[in-house]
Amino acid sequence: MATPPDFTSGQILTAAQMSAVGLWLVKTQTIGATVSSVAVTSAFSADYDNYLILISGGVASTDLGLSMTLGSTATGYYSSGFNQSLTSATINATNTNNGSSFVSVAYGSTNALSGQIQLDNPFATKRTMASYQARGSSTTYFVNQQHGFLNDATSYTGFTLTTSTGTVTGGTIKVYGYRN
Amino acid sequence: MTKPNTQTDNEVREMTDEEYAELLATGWTETNETPSPD
Repeated sequence: MATPPDFTSGQILTAAQMSAVGLWLVKTQTIGATVSSVAVTSAFSADYDNYLILISGGVASTDLGLSMTLGSTATGYYSSGFNQSLTSATINATNTNNGSSFVSVAYGSTNALSGQIQLDNPFATKRTMASYQARGSSTTYFVNQQHGFLNDATSYTGFTLTTSTGTVTGGTIKVYGYRN
Repeated sequence: MTKPNTQTDNEVREMTDEEYAELLATGWTETNETPSPD
C-alpha cells in the first residue's frame, strides 16, 4: 500500500489496509464540569506499546497545571526539562526527582486546556517512559517541556489527571495507540 | 467553600470530605493567586 494511502471514494478496505493504520483512537473521555481530577480507565492494553494522549478543548477556572499519575502510584516519577513564561525570554530548567506525579503535563486557563503526552510501555511490566508538553493559554502563564520516566515495572491500564489549583470544565482527553 | 468534583470515566461527583482533605493536603487551592508553572 502506498504511503500515504490513496483510497478512492467507495473503495472497500481490506483487513490488511485497515491493520496498517498507524495511529488508532483508543478512547475519548469528555471532561465533566468543575472537576479537580479525572481518572481515565481501560486506556492501555497489550494491543499497543506506545501511546499519544491529547488534552484539548475546555477551560479552567484559573491558570493551572494538570499533573498525571499512572494507576495508584504516587512515587518514582522522574523528569527533566524546562518551563518558560509566555512573557519572558528566560528559560527555567526544572526537574522532578522521585516525585509523586508527572507535573504540568497540560496547562489550563479561562481560555483553553492544552497538553500532549507520549508514553512508552505503560502496559508492559517495565519502566514507563514519558515526554510531555503543555502550552499556557493566558498571558500570565507558561509553556512546559519535560522528558522522564516512572521508575517501576508495574503494568498500568489507566491514569489520573489532577489540577494544581482550581478546576477544569469540558474538553476532551483522547488516547491514541501507535501500531506496533 | 464548595468542594470540587472528581471524575472517573463518565461518572462525575462531588468529592467526599475525606477526598477534599487529601486534595487540600497536596497544597491545592481554589484559585491561583500567584501563577506558577506547577
